[in-house]
Amino acid sequence: MTATATARRPVAPKPLWKRFELYLLLVLVIYPFFPFLDQAISAISGEQLRLDRQLVNIMIFAILALALNLQVGYAGLLQLGIAAFFAIGAFTTGVVSVEKYPFQFGFWGSIIMAPIVAGVAGLLLGAPTVRLKGDYLAIVTLGFGEVVRVVTLNLDAITDGPRGLSPIPSPWIPPDLAAGLGDVAKQSHFVTMYFVALIVLIALVAVFTLMERSRAGRAFVALREDELASACMGLNPAKTKLAAFAVGAAIAGFAGALYATNLQTTAEPNTYDFNYSIIVLCCVIIGGLGSLRGVLLGVGVLITFDSVLSPVLTKLIQKGVGASDNVFLSLTNWKLMIFGLALILTMRYKPEGLWPSARVKAELHEGTGGDK
Amino acid sequence: MELVIQQLLLGLTNGMVFALIALGYTMVYGILELINFAHGDLFMLASFLALTLVGLFGLGDASGGTLAVGLVGVIVVCALFAAGLNWVVDRVVYKPLRKAPKLAPLVSAIGVSFVFMNLGLFWGGLPMDEFGGGVAPAAPKSFPELLPNINLLGEDATLRVTPKDLLVIVSSLVVMAALFWFVNRTKLGKAMRATAQNPVAARLMGIDVDKVIGATFLIGGALAGFAAVIYSLYINTINFQMGYQNGLYAFTAAVLGGIGNIRGAVLGGLVIGLLRAFSDQFIGAQWQPAILFGTLILILVFRPTGLLGSTAREKV
Amino acid sequence: MNDFHKFKTLSPALRALGALSMTLLLACGGKPATGGAAPTSGDAAQPTEPGKTTEPTTPGDPNAPTSGALKIVSSLPRTGSANAQTTTIVNGIKMAIDDIGGKVGGFTVTYEDWDDASAKKGDWDPEVEAGNADKAVGDKNVVAYIGTYNSGAAMISMPVLNKAGLLMVSPANTYPALTKPGTGEAHEPAAYRPSGKITYFRVVPADDMQGAVGARWAQKMGAKSVYVLHDNGLYGKGVAAVFQQTAEDLGLKVHAFEAVDPKAQEYKSLMTKVKELNPDVVYYGGTTQTNAGQLVKDFVAVGATGKFMVPDGCFEEAFIQAAGAENANDRVFVTFGGVPPEKLVGQGADFVAAYKKKYGADPEAYAVYGYMATKVAIEAIKAAGKHDRWAISEAAAKVKFDDSALGKFEFTPDGDTTMATMSGNVVKAGKFEFVTLLSNE
Repeated sequence: MTATATARRPVAPKPLWKRFELYLLLVLVIYPFFPFLDQAISAISGEQLRLDRQLVNIMIFAILALALNLQVGYAGLLQLGIAAFFAIGAFTTGVVSVEKYPFQFGFWGSIIMAPIVAGVAGLLLGAPTVRLKGDYLAIVTLGFGEVVRVVTLNLDAITDGPRGLSPIPSPWIPPDLAAGLGDVAKQSHFVTMYFVALIVLIALVAVFTLMERSRAGRAFVALREDELASACMGLNPAKTKLAAFAVGAAIAGFAGALYATNLQTTAEPNTYDFNYSIIVLCCVIIGGLGSLRGVLLGVGVLITFDSVLSPVLTKLIQKGVGASDNVFLSLTNWKLMIFGLALILTMRYKPEGLWPSARVKAELHEGTGGDK
Repeated sequence: MELVIQQLLLGLTNGMVFALIALGYTMVYGILELINFAHGDLFMLASFLALTLVGLFGLGDASGGTLAVGLVGVIVVCALFAAGLNWVVDRVVYKPLRKAPKLAPLVSAIGVSFVFMNLGLFWGGLPMDEFGGGVAPAAPKSFPELLPNINLLGEDATLRVTPKDLLVIVSSLVVMAALFWFVNRTKLGKAMRATAQNPVAARLMGIDVDKVIGATFLIGGALAGFAAVIYSLYINTINFQMGYQNGLYAFTAAVLGGIGNIRGAVLGGLVIGLLRAFSDQFIGAQWQPAILFGTLILILVFRPTGLLGSTAREKV
Repeated sequence: MNDFHKFKTLSPALRALGALSMTLLLACGGKPATGGAAPTSGDAAQPTEPGKTTEPTTPGDPNAPTSGALKIVSSLPRTGSANAQTTTIVNGIKMAIDDIGGKVGGFTVTYEDWDDASAKKGDWDPEVEAGNADKAVGDKNVVAYIGTYNSGAAMISMPVLNKAGLLMVSPANTYPALTKPGTGEAHEPAAYRPSGKITYFRVVPADDMQGAVGARWAQKMGAKSVYVLHDNGLYGKGVAAVFQQTAEDLGLKVHAFEAVDPKAQEYKSLMTKVKELNPDVVYYGGTTQTNAGQLVKDFVAVGATGKFMVPDGCFEEAFIQAAGAENANDRVFVTFGGVPPEKLVGQGADFVAAYKKKYGADPEAYAVYGYMATKVAIEAIKAAGKHDRWAISEAAAKVKFDDSALGKFEFTPDGDTTMATMSGNVVKAGKFEFVTLLSNE
């Protein structure tokens, strides 16, 4: 209980204009119109970074990571199959929006359907399994991930098998709005996806922030600290966990809908494999389990490295040593090594994550004597 | 009927291999509650070493006594290598994280798995004939057929039993028996069981928990090294990504049997081997993973701590 | 610890934004579901962001520069298991660039090797492929895009590049509907060419031909029954489906059409089942990377007899290495688009010699495709003579080789190679050996 007590100690709030979150948000809002980083890099090295486009992917990944954080960070359920719900969202979007099927709800319909279907799947899987102890639940979710992947691959009558469902239409936006946007409307797909992802991300952060201090948030803390005691206090652990599991699954489904719409295809089912789940989990833990800012940072660091920074580095190296045939002189051959070392070193020096939440940190140190 | 027996045999043989890898997982888990994701990749590196040694000793052309001695040598070296590497990784990577949040070492293990995989990729680039001259480091490598591919029951018999099948089953059984003896009968084994049950109490009883953990990594690693040679002799193909799939199945086997439980890991491995064989035969190869993992989920729903898992042991 | 409180005062703002977003979602959600009707659109072709220097050039732009620096890029999976094949492709590309000393007309041409795989997937990653396409379009010096390796990846980048008129030449995509109408879904291939113009070409024959040719060859070799396996990938499944269809049309008995898990350790159980049925030929639609070697190995291990046939995804030394020469010898038959390099005369022979000299090994099939894909791009740049993407793409459609490392070929109006020669090869003494020319009659 010391944890919650310290977390509640009053602190003079910083004025709004001193908060870096505000500036980050501002930058994100104007970035698609004024991609200054891209321009700077392009001016210096002649390389095209296209960070604006990558940001959409990163934000979608962040939404997925927040979903996982709800399950692992808040509810303490070790989930190794988040990609399954992501896939369910993506393929639901495919089914309700491609021409082949009679539904054709379009994007706005699919972002309602995808979370519902994924959420129901989460509920069905979670109902009999959330009571399992940590690692048994881990293997059940891992197994579910494989089952979903194999089934989507094999049911080609519905999912088009390895080809995936496409083309998934761009979001429909009112013509008046499109006219008002002028030039920007020419890039309607990218701009719409960018802002939908941004708005969803902000909404999720807001909801989770509020939740942390609500009844539900306190319930999660109690559960993580002592399940038995919290049950004695009248909390229903199974119900609370199941709710977190299902809602997390629904959010992952939502992210899947955004992912598929952004790519305009569901891509092949193998995209959503165990590896994918593991990487999302790494982002969450690297950032700081249960910490909103941490999770966002974790995604930012790992995914930016993987899909933005490493191509740039590769190019610089190719320029430096020339296109070499030596297996050791190509960065691509070192990618896994660098990625792995990054994970190891981060955990070595920041075992609670890069930016842990104060509350989780306090919880973790309770009993070992340190309330750092 | 013969087909069923044949599949049963194949399932059991494959299951033994999974079980061998699963043992390493389960032992580490029993002591540290750490899912050692890098275990499969350690196994992969050991198999690369095995291929390298086979090439260096020229075992591809050897036969009879030379071959037997050579193979024993390869097994010993691979087991020592994997044991040593596992021990070093524990000291360098996991040990500083003993007091860290539970999931921190898990992520480190994933990191180690990536690093090993990358090492495997480079290893595959060795300019040796066994590695295809190292021209394509990422390509699968063939492990020479050191054991004759003949039917011990006669070439015309419907049932096919090869020397490889026997090797896998017999050697696995011997190693497993040795392991059970070690864990149940020796002082160190007893210390391991005590540490697994309650590390704090074990420490109070004068057990050097640190040493026990080190020993567990050594034994787990040695098992991976041994499994790597047996696997290579039986399956005959290795590649730098094989740790992923084998690790996944072995981990599944360990959990299925009741993670932390040594007999459970063996049982889990066998169940997985059999499920694979029978789903291929009677349902269709494309459904194999779905059937495997679907069954796993069902088993865990009805037996929440695995087939042989003890009823919920609470760790506070 | 006090970090937690930072959000407190920010939350009204966030709450407001959240409310805003919800309103927007509801408002739009309530509209009639016409969303489906909106035309598709990655808009990457309109680089209208302020500050971007690229201007869309239209065909025949008289002001397009006729000298300067141009870039050819390739987008191939360089991380993970496909690395083996893509390395040989990249070798081929580099050779083509070296051949011309990095100069075409008044232009200097440089090459960049882009990766469309990510460490997080260990294989091609849709996000990365989409990012590569965007980057290529955004960089005005890029005039040719060599790729992709996976047909699934091509589906993602094709529309984006097509809108910008950027020439794309694939050394490896074989999914028929990328170019051929009526071979896939109704929207294919129109969805891949939103501009209505053809900017995508491939130097490999599509699966529809290879699968059919394989089945005919099997029949000619006396097969009465076949067992068809595939890796459940776009390539493998496609080619296997055509093989199965043709085999049925020819009156062969098809025991099964079954997918395998390409990541499985071994297939002895499956092969035991196959052996029971005793098919004359087992066909596997897959590649070295999707475990074709292990299938052959286990086919032999369970004591099955009969022939094993695979498509060009296995036409590389690495496949024999993976299967083990002793298992593959005289048993494995491989179909391949074009005549194998060592059978070529003229330029083909020169290519083989040059490649051997440079890389110390015989060129793999993929190296030849990579080399020729780049040649197509170079010839197109030469013919267009100006830094104008649309003009270069148009010129590519007219590229014609009377003699090349792949023999004589040009492109059909859909962008397919006209090369209709397929060769049948067998593994002998650990090497591929040319057996016969195959055709689809």
